[in-house]
Amino acid sequence: MASRRRMLLKVIILGDSGVGKTSLMNQYVNKKFSNQYKATIGADFLTKEIQVEDRLFTLQMLILPFLQIWDTAGQERFQSLGVAFYRGADCCVLVYDVNVVKSFDNLNNWREEFLIQASPSDPENFPFVVLGNKIDVDGGNSRVVSEKKAKAWCASKGNIPYFETSAKEGINVEAAFECIAKNALKNEPEEEIYLPDTVDMAGSSRLQSSSSGCEC
Amino acid sequence: MQDADEQHDLSDDSDYAAAKHQGSGMGVLSESVEAGGFDENDAFEVVYSKENVAIHPSQHIGERISGQLRVRKQRSSLFLRWVPYIHIHHEADYARNLSKSSTLAKDIQLYVINDLPFRCIRCIHRYIPPLAWQYIIIVLSSGLAYPPLYFYNGGIREFLATLKQHLLVVRSADNVNVFLVNDLQDPLQRSLSSLDLPRAVPNSRASSVKSPTAAFAFDEPQTSGRAKTNGTSGASEFAEQQAVKSHDPAFEISLQVLEKFSLITKFACETTSSIFHERQNQNCPSFEKISGENSSSKVLKSDKMLEPSHPLQFDNSLIHIGEPRQHPLDSRELATFFDSEGRVNDSLALRKRIFYGGIEPNARKEVWKFLLGYYLYDSTYAEREYLDSVKKSEYDCLKSQWQSISTAQVRRFTKFRERKGLIEKDVVRTDRSFSFYEGDENPHVKLLHDILLTYSFYNFDLGYCQGMSDLLSPIFFVIEDECESFWCFVALMERLGPNFNRDQSGMHSQLFALSKLVELLDRPLHDYFGQADCLNYYYCFRWILIQFKREFEFKNVMRLWEVLWTHYLSEHFHLYICVTILKKHRRTIITERMDFDTLVKFINDLSGKIDVDEIVREAEGLCLYAGEKGAACIPPGTPPSLPSDIASDFYPDNGDL
Ligand SMILES: Nc1nc2c(ncn2[C@@H]2O[C@H](COP(=O)(O)OP(=O)(O)OP(=O)(O)O)[C@@H](O)[C@H]2O)c(=O)[nH]1
Ligand SMILES: [Mg+2]
Repeated sequence: MASRRRMLLKVIILGDSGVGKTSLMNQYVNKKFSNQYKATIGADFLTKEIQVEDRLFTLQMLILPFLQIWDTAGQERFQSLGVAFYRGADCCVLVYDVNVVKSFDNLNNWREEFLIQASPSDPENFPFVVLGNKIDVDGGNSRVVSEKKAKAWCASKGNIPYFETSAKEGINVEAAFECIAKNALKNEPEEEIYLPDTVDMAGSSRLQSSSSGCEC
Repeated sequence: MQDADEQHDLSDDSDYAAAKHQGSGMGVLSESVEAGGFDENDAFEVVYSKENVAIHPSQHIGERISGQLRVRKQRSSLFLRWVPYIHIHHEADYARNLSKSSTLAKDIQLYVINDLPFRCIRCIHRYIPPLAWQYIIIVLSSGLAYPPLYFYNGGIREFLATLKQHLLVVRSADNVNVFLVNDLQDPLQRSLSSLDLPRAVPNSRASSVKSPTAAFAFDEPQTSGRAKTNGTSGASEFAEQQAVKSHDPAFEISLQVLEKFSLITKFACETTSSIFHERQNQNCPSFEKISGENSSSKVLKSDKMLEPSHPLQFDNSLIHIGEPRQHPLDSRELATFFDSEGRVNDSLALRKRIFYGGIEPNARKEVWKFLLGYYLYDSTYAEREYLDSVKKSEYDCLKSQWQSISTAQVRRFTKFRERKGLIEKDVVRTDRSFSFYEGDENPHVKLLHDILLTYSFYNFDLGYCQGMSDLLSPIFFVIEDECESFWCFVALMERLGPNFNRDQSGMHSQLFALSKLVELLDRPLHDYFGQADCLNYYYCFRWILIQFKREFEFKNVMRLWEVLWTHYLSEHFHLYICVTILKKHRRTIITERMDFDTLVKFINDLSGKIDVDEIVREAEGLCLYAGEKGAACIPPGTPPSLPSDIASDFYPDNGDL
């Protein structure tokens, strides 16, 4: 029997406060943008049923903003919140605001924080996706981080796929999450993927080849 | 562990009245009490026997377990026995049944009434619905009750008549269908012993919390005399744990049985509390002497007797209930709490009043300043006026500190820029759908910003943390004045500031206390969380961090907060609210075997679906039940306690409980 777990893809979304994590997730799941989202306290959690290569999955998206308030570095007294929340993550999405340089600079911290806390078995190859959000603001005139700079950073970290998005205008959001889902799937160890008897092996190899490219 | 203790307490309780008599030398104990329970090997007489007496384990009328009801007399004591037929007639098939449909057989076992001594019975309710089967409910002296027993062959009248021949059975003065059972010779003593104990009512509620296990505890004393089993840890709980561990298909069904027990107990709780009730409540019964030959005995008077069409229709998630909520305190009533100079002399009475009813919106502005600690209760009008003026200039001074930072300075002041940026980002995301903060360029949003930025200068070390805007928003809405809102917020942060400590210590101590409380008050749920690796309680993080601000609509947040701020039953009443909400959903959590992630989502999604009055009422009941054991779960200094608080009025006068 296929376990429930295998049909779930768990995605952690990290980034500075206000870069638009909640907005992106809502744009993807509910296809709308609102100015009235509240700042995330604790964790935001949304799920979406998705289809990847003819297979159905539940994409679990978890936003954890409080870690930026309490960076737990050096505080070993308690089990970090991150350890509990990051467990079993299949993909980690790092978001920054193209209009705020600090949010870009922090990407490195977020990535390292995640790798330390989640301690994935193969950190070198753990799938990340980077999103540069709010490209719509001021027609792009207030932008302070160039696409080139962002892509260079992603390349230096093992070719992390990169997308420029606007949660407000719905630009590139669908494409970004499609890539996120595929990358999450890639993280599943081969033998753990449940293949019903009838599945043709071509299906799974197609998945392999497309996910490595990801067109990102 | 804890549960086993509880059960001992409870089973002891059933003997409490008798033991008390013994202690006070009343000399009215029958031999059987001394001897313990019913002894199969000794001679007995069957004084009553009825076939086809059934219980309905669920609301489906088709699901019924029929059996035989007997009253047996041994020496001078009476014992009640109900045994399902499967138990009597199919002993041989029993093992096979167990393996085939183990769930059913095991469940039926749970309902057996095993030679219950009548001295453990407080009263018997008779229900005679016009178009349905007649049934009785047996209420134990602890307040627990057995499931309704349906007499399919009739015979309730005969049953009661038989009892009357052997016991003292007093009909309730106001409800002809309630029979107070009493096998002690002194009815007055007996009534008093079960009524006048300060613990009587809390106990009956208390027992109901533990309903599933406690209900069994009453079966135990008779058997345990011979075979003292570890089964005191609770047959049901054991079943539950086992099932969770072994993925037993019986699991779900045994949980259902548990739920049934708890709802029955809840029913019993309501039934009994409508008889043995909080006196102050108008709707509730009072005690009254009846005239005539029985004039010395006190009999219960009930104004409003519960008559459910079917006892199983009660909401099964409610296990525990406190007082009915009162209407909110209005300005006119509020005025009565002030003396001529403006002092609140009886602050406890005021806090109690608010705890049970909340405050009318137009009276909030005044009272919140006291509740939050900005005003002192024993201050006079004149003193408060003076305080206001001093605090006004102090605020202006603090505010001017950041207002005077020039744009050039700001460029070189990263910390300030970041802080201001964070606040700006948050105030525009705070309660914007609530009319007071709605719309572009709303001046109230700007003032939220100013107050928060000023606070970050007032307490530079703590600064601004996400969540603070949520805490300020209702305060500013109620207080309206910028400066007074600031000082009220300062007072609140005296208590809640540790929630935002960088080292998480404030939150962790509360989460720790919460886990201790769940362990005390819902052991099976605690055990489940242990198995599912969910004991960190991080899924309750938001509840505690901002005092349920995101879980209720704005107006209900205000209601809840003023209740919490009274610190009437406990400074940590919010933790009892947490436990109550978790308990309410324990069944879903356990049957669906939620893992950590699922639990996070589940708890998040409860937002907006919790009834504030209901939850407060149940948490009150739970808090009273937990009593000092509950308080002992919460280490001193756990927020929102003030650092050097004198914990003198945690448990105010229990006189009316
Ligand atoms: N113009 C524009 N504004 C956006 C966009 N995405 C988000 N915003 C706005 O940016 C602010 C922050 O967005 P959120 O989605 O709440 O940000 P977040 O990353 O979830 O923030 P935290 O919950 O504090 O961690 C809100 O006021 C949004 O309306 C975008 O693509 N374009
Ligand atoms: Mg957010």
